[in-house]
Amino acid sequence: MTAIPDTSPALPNRLSPGALAALITLLVGAACIALEPAFAWLVKWPAAWTFPATDWVGAVLEAVLGALKPFARMLASLLRYPMDGAHFVLTRTPWPLVIGVTTALGWYLGGLRMALLGALGLGFVLASGYWIESMTTLSLVAVSVPLALMMGGAIGILANEVPRVKSAVQVLLDVMQTVPTFAYLTPLLLLFGFGPVVGLIASAIYAAPPMARNVMLGLERVEPEIKEAAVMAGGTRFQQLFQVEIPSAASQIMVGVNQCLMAALSMVIIAAVIGGFNDIGWEVLLTMRKAQFGAALLAGLVIVVFAIVIDRMSGALAIERKRHDPRIAYGVLAVSVLVTLVFWGRLPDPSGFALLDPTADAVDAGLTAFTVASGAWLDSVKNGAMFYVLLPLRIGLDQAVLPFTWGFMWTPTMSLWLFAAGAAAGLVLIARGSVVGGLLLMIAVGILETGIANLPWPFVLTGTAALCWIAGGRKLALISVLLLLTILLSGLWERALLSLYLSGAAVFACAVLGGAIGLLCAVSPWAWRIVRPICDMLQTIPLFVFLIPVLMFFQIGEFSAFLAICAYAIVPMIRYTRFGLVSTPDDLIEAATASGATSVQIMKDIRIPYATPSLLLGLNQTILYAFSMLVIAALIGTTGLGQSIYLALGQADVGLGVSAGAAMAILAMIADRIVQGFAEERRKALGL
Amino acid sequence: MSDVNAPAIACRHVWQVFGEGADKALTAALDRSGQDADAASQHLRATGFIPAVQNATFDVAEGELFVIMGLSGSGKSTLIRCISHLLHATAGEIRIDDENIVEASKQRLIELRRKKLGMVFQHFGLFPHMTVADNVAYPLKVQGIGRKERLAKASEVIDLVGLAGREANYPRELSGGQRQRVGIARSLVADCEVWFLDEPFSALDPLIRRQLQDEFLQIQAKLKTTIVFITHDINEALKLADRIAIMRDGKIVQIGTPAEIVLHPVDDYVREFSKDVAKGRHAHVASVMRGAGGGIEPGPDDPGLRTNMTLDAALAKCMSLYEPVPVWDDAGACVGVVDPADLAAALQVEDA
Repeated sequence: MTAIPDTSPALPNRLSPGALAALITLLVGAACIALEPAFAWLVKWPAAWTFPATDWVGAVLEAVLGALKPFARMLASLLRYPMDGAHFVLTRTPWPLVIGVTTALGWYLGGLRMALLGALGLGFVLASGYWIESMTTLSLVAVSVPLALMMGGAIGILANEVPRVKSAVQVLLDVMQTVPTFAYLTPLLLLFGFGPVVGLIASAIYAAPPMARNVMLGLERVEPEIKEAAVMAGGTRFQQLFQVEIPSAASQIMVGVNQCLMAALSMVIIAAVIGGFNDIGWEVLLTMRKAQFGAALLAGLVIVVFAIVIDRMSGALAIERKRHDPRIAYGVLAVSVLVTLVFWGRLPDPSGFALLDPTADAVDAGLTAFTVASGAWLDSVKNGAMFYVLLPLRIGLDQAVLPFTWGFMWTPTMSLWLFAAGAAAGLVLIARGSVVGGLLLMIAVGILETGIANLPWPFVLTGTAALCWIAGGRKLALISVLLLLTILLSGLWERALLSLYLSGAAVFACAVLGGAIGLLCAVSPWAWRIVRPICDMLQTIPLFVFLIPVLMFFQIGEFSAFLAICAYAIVPMIRYTRFGLVSTPDDLIEAATASGATSVQIMKDIRIPYATPSLLLGLNQTILYAFSMLVIAALIGTTGLGQSIYLALGQADVGLGVSAGAAMAILAMIADRIVQGFAEERRKALGL
Repeated sequence: MSDVNAPAIACRHVWQVFGEGADKALTAALDRSGQDADAASQHLRATGFIPAVQNATFDVAEGELFVIMGLSGSGKSTLIRCISHLLHATAGEIRIDDENIVEASKQRLIELRRKKLGMVFQHFGLFPHMTVADNVAYPLKVQGIGRKERLAKASEVIDLVGLAGREANYPRELSGGQRQRVGIARSLVADCEVWFLDEPFSALDPLIRRQLQDEFLQIQAKLKTTIVFITHDINEALKLADRIAIMRDGKIVQIGTPAEIVLHPVDDYVREFSKDVAKGRHAHVASVMRGAGGGIEPGPDDPGLRTNMTLDAALAKCMSLYEPVPVWDDAGACVGVVDPADLAAALQVEDA
């Protein structure tokens, strides 16, 4: 055949892989909808077809854990010694001394600013009256972090030394990162019994991966010539590693220490859920349950202050090489010792401070007044979002549109009209050359009508396979479908779809809003100056604290959970968007300017395309953040896997907890690989 | 001590092939081609392997300054890493003082590096967390030598490279040239007998480079170690080398003195290198001298040519003469005659 130039913008002779995948997905979806009346099993996976997999998992795990129990209990009783020791030291040390040590350390690490941060931060904690609770939390961190550092460091070094172990370790770390925090707790509870030791061990396990990752990364990034110089100097492998490679990787390893500290703190606080241990996390939980939001906010702020002090000080370890004059640090220490000695026995009880209680009460009163005054307005915001956005996404227009919500009843005729409109718009797009876009539009209309929670399973499997195939090839598609099938067969499917819906909605909101904010910050340095500290703050706050403000205004429910997830997951989207947009090489922008492009054109034609890989990475992080927050948000009312994990924790149901945790991890990993695949492809296409 | 006549370094059929299962693939490829290196390399490339060094065979004499030159990707850095055993050669034999280091044990290699080998790197490879003094003293530290003693020794070499006074500085506080001086000092601190330099001056500005080259020659004149020196700069090679090996795509294409390389390139690749070189400055009278000039006595207008005079200098002295001119050695005996026309011809750049 000879190629005749096609003058009409009609369908290309051959479909691109993307269009083919979209077409197949669309056809499967359409077939499912059409056949639903006849074959109900196409939409709802019949309960008869599932295996009691969670029970099996539970039985196996309980057997294994039971066998490990004596050993675990022994470990737990051993760990009690350092824990009690740390607790004793931190709670009994006179508070001026603790503040003095922190201030001195702050000075040494980061000069006046850091010293002030330490002094004011701890001063705030003291004034809040939560001193003892805070020190209890700190003592847990103080024991779990060295454990995590040792484990993480050992894993990192092992992976570096034995290349064969490396890829296995990478997979393990990936899994550990995606398995939700609560899911760790259930098996640990069984192993170690109730009590603070569980929180300790959970936080050590949770905090080890970032350390391991950074040790691996740091050792990998040591310049090859530095490694070679150590070899040529005649060092043994041990000397090379400990005298040259690890010190050379110090700043990356310090980043690991910083992340490890933050993860441990976050987990210690979350672990309060399982035990009435007199720590600050428990305090937040307690006050939150009693709807004392002023007190909850105050306790939450104490956590935030701790997080910021620990983060900034350990962060200074990673960046600043020059240390400040130790003599001043000694001076500060001496003053605090002096104060302690002079006022010995007359020091006020740290728990007696209640300087901020009036503020907390005022907040409570103000909040009550506010909710009473603008309750109608808040409700309308909440109901609007629920009725017009979240509910249709969840159960579809056909069920969400009711006289009670939208003021009229959805009829099958309307469905037909919607489909017709979607098909028409899609066809217009296709006729204009955008085949994939048209097909995707039709798929989106279908999803909107059906609702994510009611999507037919063949459609979800096909769609996932199609996306995986485009993003990462046949192998990824196969693995993803197999993993999804295990969820389907284990009877967790409906809950998985519910989780998918809520996190999907949050991710979508974050992508749009975060993308817009990121764009704004890229264009205006002024905006970035405001947004940046907020982002820093949001990333430092332990997950748990996000629940307080949303609860204050919107009570328990899905909308509150949605807001909490968004607040946490939006940060990476903002950061990566801005970073991608501002890191366009200058010569590209100069070339575009020289060609006469306006700044809008430069943004549209140069900067955004160039930033795509970065944008996709931001989306990827947002997805992972949303998943991890989803489980925490189960505390304030979500359905789906997060709720199952939380319930399993309460009932010590290992099978359900671990299975649901695994299902979450599967969803997160599939999403991660798909987005990473697209990002990688874009990066290659751009030659980066 | 080893035999005086044995070369300090002897490489025999050294191969470095990258890829999974490279040693088997190499044996198979050589068997297939009947031990023909070129055919084997071609086959290896076709099957996805990278033959970075192919069948390298050469000797370096004791105290010789041997330069390996080639473009980036020609395998010169890989070859020096084979000889210093930073890479384990896929096949072949590398003898240093008659000891085959390819088969040396881990323990023996550590010992060799502590006592005998020193290396300087292109990007310096300085340890960022150590001061200049600690960097330089590190090879002594790994041997377990006490702090006082090793710092004393380190300060000697630091003096030698002209960095006295910078002992307490960190590498990041030094300029590029100073950093490489630290690298040189560190490689010398353990009194090495064989000195490897991997493009030591390539990352430096031209002026600093020339200065360091001169200082390097002075140090070499003092220490007289055996040197393997890597460079991609023909002028640097000609300036420093006793002999030069030129590499291309993993193969050594020519080994010779600077004059041989300049005057008798074996192929267009080598010729291309020396094209822009001022040959008159690098070739010596000896390389164009004919026959023996026995019995000739210096005449009244004798220009006084010497064997080690560059062609430029010789030509300047006998511009106006047409007769063959006698050449004298350092002892004052006539060792041959030079036709001024030959001098001129040798300097002409080939217009191929």
